Amino acid sequence: MRQINLLKLLVIAASLLIVSPTFAKPGDVDRGKGIYDKRCTWCHGDEGDGTGAAEERLNPPPRDFTSGNYKIKTTAFDEMIPNDEDVFRMIRDGMPGTAMPGWSSLLSEQDMWDLVAYVKVFAEFEEAPEQQVDYGTPVASSPESIAQGKELFEDGDRCVECHGKTGKGSAIKRLKGDVSERTWPRNLTKPWTFRGSNDPKDIFTRISTGIAGTEMPSFADPKSKKMLSIKERWHVANYVASLAKTQKVVNAENTVIKADMLEGDLLPDSPDDERWEQTIPTTFLLVPQIIGEERFFKPSNDTITVRALYNDKAIAMLMEWDDRTKSIPGDERAEKIADKPIQEDGVAVQLPVEIPKKMQKPYFGMGDASRPVNIWHWKSGTKDTAETVAMINSRGFQDIEARDAAEVGLQAKGSYKDGTWRVVMVRPLTTADPENDLQFVEGRFIPVAFAAWDGSNNSEKGSRHTMTTWYWLLLKPSTGAMPIIMALVIAGLFAGALLWWARSAAGGRKPQADSKEGTA
Amino acid sequence: MTKKRRIPRLLQLVLVVLGIYLGFVLTFDVILGQVIPKSLLTMYMFFVIAGVLMVFTFTEESAQELIGPIKALVEDPSKKMVRNVVFVIVPLLAGVYTYASLMPSFEAPVELRTIHPAPPSSVKAFGKRFDLATLENPYRKFEKEDPDKFHKLVKQGGEIYIQNCQYCHGDRLDGKGPYAAGLNPTPLNFQDVGTIAQLQESFVFWRIATGGPGLPAEAAPWISSMPIWQDFLSEDEIWKVILFLYEYTGRQPRSWEHE
Ligand code: HEC
Ligand code: HEC
Ligand code: HEC
Repeated sequence: MRQINLLKLLVIAASLLIVSPTFAKPGDVDRGKGIYDKRCTWCHGDEGDGTGAAEERLNPPPRDFTSGNYKIKTTAFDEMIPNDEDVFRMIRDGMPGTAMPGWSSLLSEQDMWDLVAYVKVFAEFEEAPEQQVDYGTPVASSPESIAQGKELFEDGDRCVECHGKTGKGSAIKRLKGDVSERTWPRNLTKPWTFRGSNDPKDIFTRISTGIAGTEMPSFADPKSKKMLSIKERWHVANYVASLAKTQKVVNAENTVIKADMLEGDLLPDSPDDERWEQTIPTTFLLVPQIIGEERFFKPSNDTITVRALYNDKAIAMLMEWDDRTKSIPGDERAEKIADKPIQEDGVAVQLPVEIPKKMQKPYFGMGDASRPVNIWHWKSGTKDTAETVAMINSRGFQDIEARDAAEVGLQAKGSYKDGTWRVVMVRPLTTADPENDLQFVEGRFIPVAFAAWDGSNNSEKGSRHTMTTWYWLLLKPSTGAMPIIMALVIAGLFAGALLWWARSAAGGRKPQADSKEGTA
Repeated sequence: MTKKRRIPRLLQLVLVVLGIYLGFVLTFDVILGQVIPKSLLTMYMFFVIAGVLMVFTFTEESAQELIGPIKALVEDPSKKMVRNVVFVIVPLLAGVYTYASLMPSFEAPVELRTIHPAPPSSVKAFGKRFDLATLENPYRKFEKEDPDKFHKLVKQGGEIYIQNCQYCHGDRLDGKGPYAAGLNPTPLNFQDVGTIAQLQESFVFWRIATGGPGLPAEAAPWISSMPIWQDFLSEDEIWKVILFLYEYTGRQPRSWEHE
């Protein structure tokens, strides 16, 4: 008997060790309240019900702790209460893609345990949770596992229903969270927006528990028709983790879009042209327009990827951005998913009318009185009208002049597929009106900025959009054979000079060697 | 003299130059935390090499000592093997260097700007003039006179902050708001001792009221995404938000009296 009890104890102790590698430290509720009232009430509210001052301007909204919903937890799907370590982790690391920051830079470990203790009080979570996620035997990632995961992901639209075929979250459904906020299915190709991480173990956990307070369900729930076994969940997790392998990631160091020269050829005027594949993509973060005019706080677009090509006559730019919805005003399906009223999707390129000679550029927000900008604005069209491209010259928000895009020779063409817009804009390098149009020049750094509109999200239109600040566009000068010829010439000269030196030294060696001997 | 065990002069020279180079990179990249632009580094290193060469060839003797090994390499028949290798490598390096320097660089231009420009003596905001030398936060006095009222004002300032500023400056006030990474220049870090703690409240008022476009030219107003807050907030609200900035970070504004 005693032996069995001991064994039991050992097993329990061991399983505890496995489940919680960092043991929770007991937090002090009163101290927690003190810290909470200084740091957290702004968003989560004095009563912990998520009604802080920022509520209206954040999506996702700050969590209502009285609901007891915790998105990132490692307790089983039918267990409401999270582990203390789960709550601790979110407070320490924050929730990427939301306003919830990580607090480890400002608070001590003990502070954060105290907060855990206090925050749990709002939902009256007093007992320790009982059921934990069962990880079984983890399946390491392999091409076979990924392939099986892909099948399960798509089978019966299991995940595709919300996350789309490519995992970008191209929605077929309109989803809501518990406080009836709009929720967007995660774009699984953008791991930096995951609240937990995109480590397979984390993904496994999310699939197993679902995401509380949202429509993301648990796939460990035997009541679900789409339930997955432990092994299957590991395959799906490996597949989802593999989706992050894309060229289109933001690299803060990379601020220059490099346009390659296409000699003689016609420029691609369609987004589907294969030649785009050979260009270097540059990806920038999009931020909501919270700077002037009517501000916009709840964006859905978050990055834009740009490529460019040019020849002796024109320049073509390809803008790509993930947008979960193709917004077509008048289209029944599009209208159903969209926030009302639906608007067109759009993208804009901003360039200075004159390339700055020194540092001074036009103001990044649509130029200024003494330095106007050109804006090329493409819109996706409605059910009855085709896509359009407009050309604007502006000297600030207030001073906008519509131009004739056709006269300048500006053309645009867009295509939407599986959650991504791709739009090409082409313009001649030079125009007849250098006073009002940028004249592209090879080899100069040209400031460039972008804006994007998702017409299905909070009716983005006009000043309500996402944007970038100034970056650079460079038409890479074709250097031809010059560098290689010069390199050969220089190398030859060096070799010649060295040989000559050695020769002349050898010629006069005898007497020199004598003198050396003499001195030695 | 202990001539025997000394490091050869040539190697000394190479080591000294390498040491200085590493020193530069370390100071800038690691200690100051900003990568030194290549063009600047090239220029510095040019002067360094010129200087070091001058020192090393100061006397006839030291110059000889420096050139000795090179001369020996070319002239000494016993070093034939090494010579052949060097004669291949040196022209090759020269060729590669020429090629690399002729290929145009695609590094973005470096833009130097002042982050805290000298303030003008008076500024225009809210349709009137403010004399920055005498301008004071009308609420500061309650800190001592009426702590309860002061506390309420700070709280109101915090609410204004969370509704308007946290997106960029962050809810920890450390300049790392959710959108900060998409902005260049990056929003200011108020927790840093080098920012608001160094400034008078009147200066901060000016910076908030007129925003990025209100900066003088040396601070590159055209790239700063700091909004013009007089368009969205009242004078009162700006003073309250300033109270919050200092209170939350536990810093004190610089005041005229202490100087
Ligand atoms: C600027 C606003 C803001 C502040 C300040 C803030 N939070 Fe949050 N917090 C959020 C948002 C928004 C969410 C919800 C994110 C989501 O649902 O994806 C959240 C979610 C959470 C969660 C839920 C984690 C989960 O697994 O679902 C916890 C716990 C939390 N916050 C604790 C804190 C604590 C403790 C503080 C103070 C130290 C704090 N927050 C300060 C905005 C904030
Ligand atoms: C009914 C819709 C729906 C289905 C079906 C669905 N998801 Fe989700 N999923 C969501 C939503 C909504 C979110 C975002 C929740 C939020 O706002 O935090 C999400 C988020 C996620 C996340 C992000 C977790 C994190 O750390 O941020 C992952 C990973 C994920 N889902 C994977 C899957 C997989 C794999 C499947 C299929 C087995 C699946 N989802 C099925 C709606 C769904
Ligand atoms: C869109 C982003 C954004 C928002 C929103 C924003 N700021 Fe800024 N702020 C910046 C940037 C960028 C700077 C400039 C950094 C620089 O010039 O290097 C700045 C600078 C400042 C400075 C200048 C300090 C100095 O030393 O010169 C103060 C003070 C300031 N912000 C306060 C605020 C306050 C208060 C709010 C809210 C009412 C706010 N900011 C909202 C981006 C923002």
